[in-house]
Amino acid sequence: MQNFTRRKVLALGAMGVAMPWVTKASAQERKITVAAYSDIFEDIYKKAVIEPFMKANPGIRVDYMGMPTSAQNLGMLRAQKAAPQIDVCIMDVVVAKAGGDEGIYKPVTAEQLPVMKQLVPAAIIEGVPGPAVTFDTIVMMYALSKFPTPPTSWKELWNKQHAGRIAIDAPPNLLGVGLTLIANKLAGGGDYRQSIDKGIQLLGEMAPLVQTWDPKPNPYAAVANGVVDLGIGYNARAQTISKQNADRMAVAMPEEGSIAQINTINLVNGSKQPEAALQFMSYALSAEAQATFTEALYYVPTNKGAAISEEARKKTAATPERMARMIDVDWIEVAKFRDKITEQWRRNVISRS
Amino acid sequence: MTVSTVDADARSGGGRLLLTLLLPIIFVNVIAFIAPVANLVAMSFREATATGSMKEGMDLATWSSLVGDAYYWSMLWRTIWIGALITLVTLVLSYPLALFVSRAEKAKALLIVLCISPLLISAVVRTYGWMVILGDQGFLPALLRSFNVTPPRLINSQLGVVIGMTEILMPYMILSLLSGFGKLDTTLEQAAETLGAGPLTVFRRIVLPLSMPGVLLGCLLCFVLAVSSFITPKMLGGGRVALLATEIYDQAIVTLNWPVAACLSVLILIVFGTALLFYGQLSKIVE
Repeated sequence: MQNFTRRKVLALGAMGVAMPWVTKASAQERKITVAAYSDIFEDIYKKAVIEPFMKANPGIRVDYMGMPTSAQNLGMLRAQKAAPQIDVCIMDVVVAKAGGDEGIYKPVTAEQLPVMKQLVPAAIIEGVPGPAVTFDTIVMMYALSKFPTPPTSWKELWNKQHAGRIAIDAPPNLLGVGLTLIANKLAGGGDYRQSIDKGIQLLGEMAPLVQTWDPKPNPYAAVANGVVDLGIGYNARAQTISKQNADRMAVAMPEEGSIAQINTINLVNGSKQPEAALQFMSYALSAEAQATFTEALYYVPTNKGAAISEEARKKTAATPERMARMIDVDWIEVAKFRDKITEQWRRNVISRS
Repeated sequence: MTVSTVDADARSGGGRLLLTLLLPIIFVNVIAFIAPVANLVAMSFREATATGSMKEGMDLATWSSLVGDAYYWSMLWRTIWIGALITLVTLVLSYPLALFVSRAEKAKALLIVLCISPLLISAVVRTYGWMVILGDQGFLPALLRSFNVTPPRLINSQLGVVIGMTEILMPYMILSLLSGFGKLDTTLEQAAETLGAGPLTVFRRIVLPLSMPGVLLGCLLCFVLAVSSFITPKMLGGGRVALLATEIYDQAIVTLNWPVAACLSVLILIVFGTALLFYGQLSKIVE
């Protein structure tokens, strides 16, 4: 009992009296959950966007929920529709559209989110609840040991020298769907909305050279580990993984152009903290956050004011000449005949391999 | 109080006790099995739009499009015959092993543990192991090349799925067969031998018929596991082996068409139900 001096007892008493106010102050901290991609995206997004946001807004805590795919992200919210545990979702535009149609995401306007006025026009997509937060492109990844000079054309996928050494993610994966549209252009197939038959026919000629239509764990690892020599993937991840495996893998952006992939940021309908969620969305779309994220993971920013270094720009599709070669694709339209593309692949492409 | 009244009271008391004892498991089953299956069936009567969002209300549109599509019928047929092939290969490879283990006089327990020890390792890890062994630069293709034999495509193909699934299912088959061999009376074999039967006749007329309950149980177990297996066909099939389970994954996780995924899941349940019916009928014949 000798250790309990009168001063200590008084201090403990004061703490006890103050406790209700301490608890109340801690309860005032607002918590939001952001669901987006797992793996590299998660690691870098936390450092580049979430941590600086929490530092600038000490009253808001952001929890990150990593999801392997956008569809799983929406699936989680379908299950939680009555009481959503997620406030903000970053996901592919096609999935965001489906979620918006089901009322899972709440459309946001420039009045609620003034930062939307700073975005490029392509970032605001009709019928999609939230604006685009990143753009990406489909690229080729290649094994450095097998290519003395970097490939410059998509036609390299039809080079018989790579027989059994190509990895392609087939539809319904969006990479395969994108490749269909690229092949359709290469084959002179015209407007993809009318017909993709020529593209399918051309892909059928590539089929016997393909080792796998479902690379595991993903096409990036398959190329980096030397399982295949050539694959297709998304630029941001491919650039980051090639940086980590600089002696084994590199990325090529073919001269015929590519297709953009769009990730949107969406407010969950029924979010318990909509103001904090909008505050986070505003920061994620700001020039500062967009520039930081692009420098770290090479996504193309959607904010016109995002100042990115020349080195980072070279690793994205954001250079003027690459932007000029981009194949214009309306993903919402493509989603309507994705099943048809998948069926054509199964009947006329995969069956030939 | 008469004797019959006492009996009736005891019966009703016993019934109440039985019901009380059964209540927890009934409750767990309703929550963890019946309700999700009912939800699945209800989902199969909904419809998804072209972009993946689900329409309100229920109708037969998804079922009718599925039933009218020859692609799904061929997938169902492929799933059943690959499941049956895997079961057959597993049985052929497991039977001698299980018979040897059941007759081992020394270290029988150790042999049983060795046979079922693969179950201690996750199927994902074992499948990755097969990817290393059978892959293009793997041990087996390298061995074949050293004998100037061009290796066939051992993974990213149907063959890879059959090899991987057979290895994964062998412990289940061995355990089922061992339970069947427990009923074998060796004196019957000795009697047959005494009467002049050769080893093959003894096997055909005594050992095989008496081990049939174990064989049937193992086949049912392996078939059901093979048909519902998703990880190994997904990893070793390389997108070339479209089965019901992998299609359910694609529809649920990639294209977000939950109603089609639910219809296919119900279809798998029907396949399981049919397999159980067959098992029941064959068991009666065998016994």
